[in-house]
Amino acid sequence: MFRSDTARAGFKGACSESMSLALSTLIYEWRRYMAAVVALAFSGLLVLAFAGMFMGMGKSFTATIDRSGADVMILAPGATQLFGGPSGVPRRLIPIIYQHPEVEVVDYIDLSGGRFESMDQAALRAPGATPPQGQRSESVMVTSIVTQPGNPTIPVDYSEALVEALRQPDAVVLDETALTRLGVQLGDEAIYNGHRVRVVGVTRGYANFMQPGMVMSRDTLRRYGEAYNGSRVGPLMVRLRDPARAEVVVAQLNAGANGQYRAWTRAELSAANEASMFEEGIIVVMLGFSVFLGGLIGIAITWQTLRGAILANIKEFASLRALGVGMGSLRRIIVELSFWVGIVGIGASFLLTWLISLLAGMFGLPMAFPLPMCLAVSALLLIIALLSGFLSLGMLQQSQPADLLR
Amino acid sequence: MSTSASGKHGTPAIEATGLVKRFKTGRTYIEVLKGMNFDATHGDLTMVMGPSGSGKSTLIAALSGLLKPDEGRVDILDVDDLWKKSSGRIDRFRLDHCGFIFQGFNLFPALTALQQVKIVLKYQGLSPAEQDRRARVALEEVGLGHRMNQRPAELSGGEKQRVAIARCLAKSPQLIFADEPTSALDGENGQVVIRLLRRAAVEHGAAVICVTHDPRLEAWADRVIKMEDGYILSDEKRVPDPNPAPLAH
Ligand SMILES: Nc1ncnc2c1ncn2[C@@H]1O[C@H](COP(=O)(O)OP(=O)(O)O)[C@@H](O)[C@H]1O
Ligand SMILES: [Mg+2]
Repeated sequence: MFRSDTARAGFKGACSESMSLALSTLIYEWRRYMAAVVALAFSGLLVLAFAGMFMGMGKSFTATIDRSGADVMILAPGATQLFGGPSGVPRRLIPIIYQHPEVEVVDYIDLSGGRFESMDQAALRAPGATPPQGQRSESVMVTSIVTQPGNPTIPVDYSEALVEALRQPDAVVLDETALTRLGVQLGDEAIYNGHRVRVVGVTRGYANFMQPGMVMSRDTLRRYGEAYNGSRVGPLMVRLRDPARAEVVVAQLNAGANGQYRAWTRAELSAANEASMFEEGIIVVMLGFSVFLGGLIGIAITWQTLRGAILANIKEFASLRALGVGMGSLRRIIVELSFWVGIVGIGASFLLTWLISLLAGMFGLPMAFPLPMCLAVSALLLIIALLSGFLSLGMLQQSQPADLLR
Repeated sequence: MSTSASGKHGTPAIEATGLVKRFKTGRTYIEVLKGMNFDATHGDLTMVMGPSGSGKSTLIAALSGLLKPDEGRVDILDVDDLWKKSSGRIDRFRLDHCGFIFQGFNLFPALTALQQVKIVLKYQGLSPAEQDRRARVALEEVGLGHRMNQRPAELSGGEKQRVAIARCLAKSPQLIFADEPTSALDGENGQVVIRLLRRAAVEHGAAVICVTHDPRLEAWADRVIKMEDGYILSDEKRVPDPNPAPLAH
């Protein structure tokens, strides 16, 4: 008789005496269920990685809002997001907003964009260099900040030294993720829309995949002739004396808006921006496709695994049937088994996704996993597992106790 | 007609009349039970013997509510005409009253001996404490008190069959159906098993119906029914050998 006391000994502690048949079987015969768990893990990874990447992109998109020094932002009345669509307001609103007693500073967003060309730095420093030629050319999006202390356009995580560096003419700041793409390093000179600029600072956490972002002072932007000078400006950024009063002030401002503008708290606007990402058709299609594909693969493999597992224990089930245990009870065992497979699959899926996000983080690709998204994916995996369980219930019909009598 | 459910020695437990069972093979039917009558008594170890293919297994499947016969009726304990009942009622009847021992042991690989026995008691609706108590008593009774926490992979064939017997005895069934319970075992283990079945009949008053083609088991029987080709060939009561010769293999 085959014995493997040592191999089994480890399970003794793991399977408590009162554990259910389904759970004991899953733990004891875990190898059999590996395929299903791995399939579920990859289904979850597929969805989580896609959604996490989009959420991460959204986060870096809204980073300028989330980390701006503004407590309140003021957009055109119909605008539902900061970028994309007309969100600017008339310049004459600025003094109107200042009338609110709790408002400290009002400024506005001023964006620009253009061509960014790196230069051969060695040739640049060589004595008697000829006027340098642009090398690599990329388009960049420019955000401008007003470098006065306490101005709401300055991101809260900008150090004093970084702001000071931006006060120099022609100074620009890039995110670390844009450096390779733009072919420059800290301290390099480059050409932006024909102007010589110098990279004076590098930020972290402002990745943007669509287009590298660049920051310069409003003064520099103005000297390049790219700043607002007409009667309209970008969305207003408002700093309050007491940031905790943002919601109250927003309500008061909106009450007196007369349809000329709409005030948002920073959090509100950030959420709206994030949500607007999911109104993008392509993202919904890709997410929907990953859910569909993940679901299909998950169900197919989990179903087959559970079928195999039932078949492997069919005689044992038949002997329970002979002893009078009804079909309903056996079905419950299978559904419980699929439930536990789902739970383990969810765990494996998050583990895998966590590893992938670590890897992505190393390449400067931020991923974000908000709790509602994680809950939704967990629910999806559990549904996949339970569905597979229900699909494999038919196998139990093969547990004919009369077959044990031969 | 009704049979008593008292479980008292000597009272009838099963009466079956006119059992017919046909199986379809290809385009023709083979008749496996050809109008069989059968009865069994509480406290008796009734041995059903006959060559392979004579219909022994089919007979006990029909008697125990596992396989519906094409004709005939089965009155069992206080149930008149078992096969008139719904399949749910028949399941419930087996859960309450029947124990089975098969040639294979059919134990879940993941469960310890104690868990194998308890799981059936759980479905009978016993409290966890009562499940535990009864399971331990049953395992002690089959001599496995020291192997309760072992899984099938750690048990010998004889021990596995004893777990299966404990699983069956823990329910205190009034009817025990055993189909070739010793044929996968060596002589020594076979003897342990047949002795346990005999004890279930004598001490618990169960009606034990044991199918076998092993003539050496005859010595333990109170009654031997010989079958051939779907008929009863002979039916004799006998006094069990108090000291039967050991089953050597
Ligand atoms: N499900 C079935 N389908 C077809 N033939 C069967 C089936 N079950 C049993 N038989 C046939 O019925 C006959 C009697 O079988 P069985 O009752 O198992 O005999 P025994 O147990 O005495 O060896 C055999 O010839 C067998 O092939
Ligand atoms: Mg047989």
